[in-house]
Amino acid sequence: MGYQTPYAPTRSELSSCIQCGLCLPHCPTFRLTGKETDSPRGRLTAMAAVLDGITGIDEVFAETISFCLGCRACEPVCPSMVPYGRTLEGARAEISAQRGGVTRRLRGWVMETWLGSPAIMRVITWTTALVQQTGLDRIAPRRVRSGLRGLRRIGWRTPSLRGRTFQPDQAPVATVGLLTGCIMGPWFADVHHASIALLVRAGYRVVVPSDQTCCGALAAHDGAAEGAARLAARNAAAFRGVDYVVANAAGCSAHLKDYRHWAPGEALDEGWQVRDITELVADAVEDGRLPRLEEGRGLVALQHPCHLRNAQRIVTQPQLILEAAGHRTTPIDPVCCGAAGFYSILRPDTSARLGRDKADEIRRSGATLVASANPGCEMQLRSHLAGEYRVLHPVELYLQALSNAKESQA
Amino acid sequence: MAATLTGSNTKFRDDLIRVLGAERVMDSTLERHLYAKDAGVYTGNPTVVVMIETTEEVAQVVRAARRHGIPVVARGAGTGLSAGAVPEVGGMVLVTTRMNRIEEIDTENRTAWVGPGVINLDLSAATTPFGMHFAPDPSSQSACTVGGNIACNSGGPHCLSEGSTVNHVLALEVVTDTGDVMIVGSGAPDPIGLDLRGILVGSEGTLGIVTRALVKLTPNPPDVRTMAVAFPTIEDAAATVSGIIAAGLIPAALEMMDQLMMQAIENWLHAGLPVEAGALLLAEVTGVTEAVAAEAEIITSIAHGNNALSVQVAASPEEREILWKSRKSAFGAVAQAAPDYYLHDTVVPRTRLVEAMRQVYEIGERYEIIMMNVFHAGDGNLHPLMAFDASEPGRLDKVKAAADELVELCVEKGGVLSGEHGIGIEKRHLMPLLFTEMDLDAQARVKEAFDAEGVFNPGKVLPEGSRCFDFGRPVPEGAWV
Repeated sequence: MGYQTPYAPTRSELSSCIQCGLCLPHCPTFRLTGKETDSPRGRLTAMAAVLDGITGIDEVFAETISFCLGCRACEPVCPSMVPYGRTLEGARAEISAQRGGVTRRLRGWVMETWLGSPAIMRVITWTTALVQQTGLDRIAPRRVRSGLRGLRRIGWRTPSLRGRTFQPDQAPVATVGLLTGCIMGPWFADVHHASIALLVRAGYRVVVPSDQTCCGALAAHDGAAEGAARLAARNAAAFRGVDYVVANAAGCSAHLKDYRHWAPGEALDEGWQVRDITELVADAVEDGRLPRLEEGRGLVALQHPCHLRNAQRIVTQPQLILEAAGHRTTPIDPVCCGAAGFYSILRPDTSARLGRDKADEIRRSGATLVASANPGCEMQLRSHLAGEYRVLHPVELYLQALSNAKESQA
Repeated sequence: MAATLTGSNTKFRDDLIRVLGAERVMDSTLERHLYAKDAGVYTGNPTVVVMIETTEEVAQVVRAARRHGIPVVARGAGTGLSAGAVPEVGGMVLVTTRMNRIEEIDTENRTAWVGPGVINLDLSAATTPFGMHFAPDPSSQSACTVGGNIACNSGGPHCLSEGSTVNHVLALEVVTDTGDVMIVGSGAPDPIGLDLRGILVGSEGTLGIVTRALVKLTPNPPDVRTMAVAFPTIEDAAATVSGIIAAGLIPAALEMMDQLMMQAIENWLHAGLPVEAGALLLAEVTGVTEAVAAEAEIITSIAHGNNALSVQVAASPEEREILWKSRKSAFGAVAQAAPDYYLHDTVVPRTRLVEAMRQVYEIGERYEIIMMNVFHAGDGNLHPLMAFDASEPGRLDKVKAAADELVELCVEKGGVLSGEHGIGIEKRHLMPLLFTEMDLDAQARVKEAFDAEGVFNPGKVLPEGSRCFDFGRPVPEGAWV
């Protein structure tokens, strides 16, 4: 009975929910089932019930908590400012600790050890490329097929950026440390290249610390708390001395901003400043360090990743970047696309249902391109759009527009 | 957690599963706990929770419940504040959230048939393309359901000009205590016969279960102006409200909040509220552009005559939206002051607003309760918000005592028990303040006519002993009828 780990939801976190219910209509799982058990208010009440000994961490509790997408759409609409995402990670840590079966423990090990190791990621990348090029993805198990279908074309091997430094022409505005991440490096190399090119052009010195590792977001979201804490501690040390840590996957930047919960005090000094790439690029456009191009490029359906919009409240920046690139944008309903990290593998039905809705909306929007600032969302959208649209990160579209503008001038 | 489906009740559970399937019948400890309360302070103890989807299912589960002697408590989104959906004596909580279809929108007659689980704001969003909306707009409108609005005869800021839910419901499909389906009211504006529709709206689930409703849709006004006027004191703001009404204007809404409330909202929303001021008046006028401009001018001049510090006019739909968001999120923002809250709902005659407010603060001081105020000033509907920590021993009792005093104060001044939240459990014991024995007996006889065995939401609204010669059951057992 009760909670056992230091990650558990606390009394003060839980009592900040006054059960007004304003979060309910914003919750995708509540919208699907209409059940209190599948709503943020219900989940918080359930966490408090465990704290009060009304119920234990039983099967019903575990189901309630694991059905949550972790999209945190309940947070911006909560007038009581309940830290829902934090309590969710805490509840999942407890489920892992108290009901941790073999699969859950194995998952935790994969999320820490595999994602945190460049060598293992190289093997996975090579295997994935093989699957992709031989067409084996079509006969892959349903749980992973959707993800495989949504991948970009993967190269056999991508040279690592770790240990490199990129200098701007003039005296740097600041030094930023780029998180290469677990899958961003090998599978989304173009997003890194666009990020570095834009940051350097905006006057930043970009360093890519070599001893960095996976941010630990996927582990934390899955309840593998110890592993997440170890990964956080390694990164806190690796990025020491930079002005900003920058990530170009919304899930990573959101998690890095939450490191105070994960890295012990001494590893994380007061100077721990994290920015999503969209923040730094948008700031540079506003300051005139990066140019605004003339209109006339295609209409972009702009998807708001939950971990950008809800977790970091980054709402206007991606649109500003696309407008600076000369694109017009059309907003897409901010409800979660269903990717939600490993959720698409753990709960393929719910994930697919949300993914289909999102794809239908994009098809109706009249857009010719899709932009998303998170790799998981990008894969989900590409998969459900079945190759009909190009799906790219906003900074890639901006860099492409800058290169095209330069060519036409030349 | 005593009540479970054991013994003879397992048969009831089997009946429910036969009708609904196991996924829609919930009775684990945790599931029942999550349906034990609404957004208020009272807790009940459900025996079982069912998710219903069709009228026929409602009829079947009601018949089963009646057969097994299990009470039926209807629930929408659970945003109610007076415990109307709290299963006080156990029973089956019947959840309507899946009956959320907007079945038919008649744009010519400006009506719609909707399920009880349709979210209030979703209905307005669905009718926006036709230039219409559903007028009742409680603060919880982004989450609460039309069924809940009907049960509580809900109001909202714009009820000053539009009236409450009863004015926007034309007909209801209702499942009766015998599991039969009847339709009361009609599309005609002036139905003949006794007005059963009027009786059912506001009956808080004690007379039947609404399974569909024909609601009126209101055309969106051609123009709207929303103003936020800051005053040094509540008195100045209240005098302005009286002045506006005395000048012959009926604005679409007249809302007030005090400084503490503004600060809590501003801390969350960053809406740019004048937190230095003692009170804020939100006034909204709607109509044709010329009339809106003229009325806004009159309001501005009355405000300046009453020491207004500033008059801010919303310049864009976004600015208007954020002003309303600040008003409608007020009750949630209160948690920043303390972990629990009690949002009250009473009415005083508008002319006695100032003295009532003074006494409200006095009660807060006497009971050492943080008292924030946000209310529908235009119709004298007060919403004192009490912030407290329920884990302190005896605190909740003190808050409830203060709440009773607030009601007594308002009734004394010629007001009523509740403006829009309903009676539920919360104010049941205060009904005799307003109603004579004869009044209560008349209401109890209506209840009896609809639900003789007390299947629906037993014990709610009417205090025990409301029925004169209350024998507990209408006909002695074994009597020949």
